[in-house]
Amino acid sequence: GKEKASQLCAEGSSFDPSAFAEHLLSFMGLNRLEDAQNGQQNGGEGYLPDDAWDRVARRAECCFKTAPTFHYMLGSFHAEPPPPKQRTE
Amino acid sequence: MPPHLGDSHRRFLQSMMSNSVMDEQQARALYQHCCDIHKAQCVPDKLDDFIETINSKLQPMFMQIRKGMSEDNGQQYYALVNMAETDVTRMSSDYADNELELFRKTMDLIVSSENGKVSSTDVLNVADTLTIKKLKKSEAEQVLNRLVQDKWLNEKRGEFSLSIKCIIEMEPYIRRMYEDQLKMCHICHNVAFQCQICDSPTCGIKIHNPCVARYFKGRVEPRCPACDEFWPYEIPGISFYISIYKST
Amino acid sequence: TSQVQRGLDKFTGSQMDQKAAEVIQYILVKDQKKIPVRRADLVKHVLKDYRYIYPEIMKRVLQTFDQVFGLKLVEIDTKNHLYILINKLEPQEGAAGPPNPKMGLLFVILSLIFMKRGAVKESECFQCLLYICGERHEQFGDVKKLVTDEFVRQRYLECVRIPHTEPVEFEFHWGQRAELEVSKAKILDFMGELHNQDPQTWSQQYKEAHAPPPAAPSTSQPNHSQR
Ligand SMILES: [Zn+2]
Ligand SMILES: [Zn+2]
Repeated sequence: GKEKASQLCAEGSSFDPSAFAEHLLSFMGLNRLEDAQNGQQNGGEGYLPDDAWDRVARRAECCFKTAPTFHYMLGSFHAEPPPPKQRTE
Repeated sequence: MPPHLGDSHRRFLQSMMSNSVMDEQQARALYQHCCDIHKAQCVPDKLDDFIETINSKLQPMFMQIRKGMSEDNGQQYYALVNMAETDVTRMSSDYADNELELFRKTMDLIVSSENGKVSSTDVLNVADTLTIKKLKKSEAEQVLNRLVQDKWLNEKRGEFSLSIKCIIEMEPYIRRMYEDQLKMCHICHNVAFQCQICDSPTCGIKIHNPCVARYFKGRVEPRCPACDEFWPYEIPGISFYISIYKST
Repeated sequence: TSQVQRGLDKFTGSQMDQKAAEVIQYILVKDQKKIPVRRADLVKHVLKDYRYIYPEIMKRVLQTFDQVFGLKLVEIDTKNHLYILINKLEPQEGAAGPPNPKMGLLFVILSLIFMKRGAVKESECFQCLLYICGERHEQFGDVKKLVTDEFVRQRYLECVRIPHTEPVEFEFHWGQRAELEVSKAKILDFMGELHNQDPQTWSQQYKEAHAPPPAAPSTSQPNHSQR
């Protein structure tokens, strides 16, 4: 009995991608109603709210040690003077 | 020698990188948050000193956390800006060359306008005149959407103005490039785009809308601070700005 | 070597600091799109005359990333000399900027690969994604392109040919960037949450997720053809 238990433990519980997909869709707030008005239709049956992927992204944030990125406008192009303004005087 | 940075400073800087712009309240909360996480001392009214410490270390990279007043609501905002214009900074790839040209032309229109705004129709018209590579109308619309999303432009009822983040970062550039077209605020002495202009032909001073609200608050009869002529515009009340502030 | 010595003699400390600052700007630019920095490009575009004192400059660069930004520059490919930036600070909830939906998609793919013990067939991966989000997506555009092109170039994913298959088949693995950036233990926690199941019941994944991290990124190159 004990041997069998440890063997089972070593194999671990199996992973089923389709169950994963279903759980994930619920997490994303899938509306499974046929007549849902808003959101994008997914490949399955139902509609995802607009912020569905934001929810996943927010949940993912704490799993990633991603460096923040730096975005700027000044210095990203050659400075050329604008055309002279016609003076209306 | 400037004091060393701790993890609280580094976290604050990282947050400025990812959030690109934040108002004073958010910056204060972030300061508190960063100090809490790293068990650093947080002195509530020393936010600017805290930022100065970070800036002293950013200076060699020509980066800076800088402050500026929003023309929309009069609030102070903080943004992390780049100050260098070199071959390396021009490798930045957020926008293609023709997209940047469209942005520059939009800026030209905004700076030369009376009220600091330009209609989307006018911008889409200049998209036809790009020298690098023309943008189709739908493409130009997409670029404008991205510029709004990335917080370089503000859009309200089909009109574009420069965002606070853009003004904070681009001010030195704007001062240099548009020297003869610039309007300066008579009250705060910064560049003004959306402002009221004194009616008197011999005067014509400019005042930011929020500066108008602040300056004329509680005065019975508004008069121009320079020529003393009657100030003929509607004075936006402070409460008006608070309501805008809450709705954004 | 004497070239190094000549280089060190030629430039002053402040010149080297200035060059280091330029290197930092360059790396930050490349990191905007999370594309690894190639040493050859760095030398060609930025270092130029300073190439002979590369280690001296990089020492300063690493130090600034560490002391000022709380970031770490890591070589992820010692053969092609590719570098990426990763965060030294622990991620905190809510402090990051606006959510990036692409990261959500990536997270799902990495989770799938990890739970399938390190490899998922390309076809199976897209079948799963198709089911979840459809083929063309408002936020992602062409999902397939995003995954096989962008995520692979960023080194979050590796697309590897499965040997002896006709027609040719590929599978996805975690890329070197994912190995350094992403916490397997936290992914497993999320899986537990989703399935309402104790993470420890996936014993193999649990063991892998809680194994001590390797001291340094592996220097050996995978011996398979890549796309
Ligand atoms: Zn003013
Ligand atoms: Zn006047």
